[in-house]
Amino acid sequence: MTSPALEMRDVRKSYEQGQIEALRGVDLSIATGEYVAISGPSGSGKSTLLHLLGGLDSPTTGTILFKNASLGSDIDLDTYRSRKVGFIFQAFHLMPTLRAIENVQLPMLGLSRRGMDRAARARDLLMEMGLEDRMESYPNQLSAGERQRVAIARALANEPDILLADEPTGNLDSKCSANVMQMLTGIQKRHGMTLIVVTHDDAIAHAAPRQIRIRDGKVEQ
Amino acid sequence: MINQLSFPSFVWKNLWRRRLRTLLTLCGIGMAIGAFVGLVGFSSAFEQAWLHIYTSSGTDIAVIQRTFLNTSIDESAAGKIRALPLVAQASPMIYNVMDLTPEVNALVYGWKADSYEFKSLRILSGQRFRDGKPEVILGYLLAEDLKMKPGDTLEIQGSPFKITGIYHGGSALEADALIMPLDELQQLSGLEGKVSTIDVRLRPAPPGEPPEKYLKQAQAQIEAVVPGTKAVPAAERASNNEFVRLAHASAWGTSSIALLIGILGIANTMAMSVFERTRELGILRALGWSRWQVMLLIQMEAAVLGLGGGIIGIVLGCCALRLLARLPQTASIVSSQVPYPLLAETLGIAFWAGLLAGAIPAWRGAQLSPVEALRHD
Ligand SMILES: Nc1ncnc2c1ncn2[C@@H]1O[C@H](COP(=O)(O)OP(=O)(O)O)[C@@H](O)[C@H]1O
Ligand SMILES: [Mg+2]
Repeated sequence: MTSPALEMRDVRKSYEQGQIEALRGVDLSIATGEYVAISGPSGSGKSTLLHLLGGLDSPTTGTILFKNASLGSDIDLDTYRSRKVGFIFQAFHLMPTLRAIENVQLPMLGLSRRGMDRAARARDLLMEMGLEDRMESYPNQLSAGERQRVAIARALANEPDILLADEPTGNLDSKCSANVMQMLTGIQKRHGMTLIVVTHDDAIAHAAPRQIRIRDGKVEQ
Repeated sequence: MINQLSFPSFVWKNLWRRRLRTLLTLCGIGMAIGAFVGLVGFSSAFEQAWLHIYTSSGTDIAVIQRTFLNTSIDESAAGKIRALPLVAQASPMIYNVMDLTPEVNALVYGWKADSYEFKSLRILSGQRFRDGKPEVILGYLLAEDLKMKPGDTLEIQGSPFKITGIYHGGSALEADALIMPLDELQQLSGLEGKVSTIDVRLRPAPPGEPPEKYLKQAQAQIEAVVPGTKAVPAAERASNNEFVRLAHASAWGTSSIALLIGILGIANTMAMSVFERTRELGILRALGWSRWQVMLLIQMEAAVLGLGGGIIGIVLGCCALRLLARLPQTASIVSSQVPYPLLAETLGIAFWAGLLAGAIPAWRGAQLSPVEALRHD
């Protein structure tokens, strides 16, 4: 049996001094190299869950473990975000003033590793995403599908163990969606990466080997 | 390396993206720094001119009253000082600022007709005044201002004085001044038997004697023979002089206010930019940037604004000084040569001003939680 990449133990998250309970006691375990789809109605807490798994926020109560290390105490969240996870957003969130190849280097800049050939690594990643012709383009010169592929390359920049995607195809047409999903699952298989995709597209959810459904801040059994 | 993203290039792109705002901010801080360079440059030129009064006449020590309020010493002290073996010459004098006409006030010196200080003057026309006679000589700039020449009569505080000569001074300050017999000025200002300073020239130091030690020795001897006085080395006297101190104080005061406004300008720009980029800063955090790195990014942007403004300000300030060096009223004091230590100091001040201005926006930017920042738009 493989050890879990991520584990949540009775995780609760509330906002506005407890008035909004986005997560109401979530327990789950995700194995290393697993591909999981998280689905559920809008407002059910999917993004909140993914943000907590990605170390973008801390739970109100409960613990989250990355390879048995508790997030925020055993492993500091900045380190976790920069070295262990790659995050992909529905709205791409590329920097408008940076070319595609520069956007991919942003996470590497956060690592501040001396003498690293960031541009070469960014170039390799963009080639892997089939963007060899678009490296010098600015985000506003790219199609939505291309932007999301740049964002995927950026998420891979620091060789994370886990890839988290929050509705990565939410702003894409069906053809681009299929293409992006193919890229993500391809990476997951090739690199043996753990991939967690939040989606409300049933087709995508059903295609995943494991599906977790969320409703009202709880995992549906 | 082409396409390699670095911290400085990211900083540059962020500033370039809002070029108009960046430019306006640079102008703001540039004007403040320009005012600083101009004013402080002017006041140090003033100090230099003052120092030149002493150096051109060869004065080594100025003897003044020790207490702050009582500014006069007995003229007879000059004789005691002159008798000291180290002392070559001692020249009692008064200086004062006086109204000559309702429009013109000038520095008025009272010298003895045989004062060694005359060596630093060049009489352009006419001749020296005589002791005990209502006679004056005018600096050439003052003569131009008053439109007077030797032979004319100038009324000073109700008494007529005959202009006997026009001189060119060793120092710019003297070019705008008037010199009269010491006894006449004593009478005019009700200071019979009193002087404001005794300028002292020392004999050359014996070979092998360190000049500092020699000067110290002379100071001690003078203070011993004339109790209650202070023997101040000329260089120190030039910078401690009340006129110079006033010029420095007003230069620093005015430019500090300008600088404060410049700093607020940068702070405002950076605060706006942090607010507008809340989401982007959240993305950087989500991509693994630490608070410290986000803070560094904002601080670097602010420091670049400070430094850029500093360079603009130096250019502006130097232009202003060049202009002052050409204007007839100030040409004599300001040389068009820019003091380089001042420029280095200015760049340092500009850099720190930027960092200071960026501190609060940077801190706020770093406090953002990634999730809150991402939800912002
Ligand atoms: N930062 C926040 N502040 C206040 N309420 C929030 C915040 N984030 C999420 N919520 C609320 O928590 C609930 C779950 O949101 P979310 O996790 O975004 O759901 P989903 O992604 O499934 O649509 C919603 O009611 C949402 O309004
Ligand atoms: Mg969501």
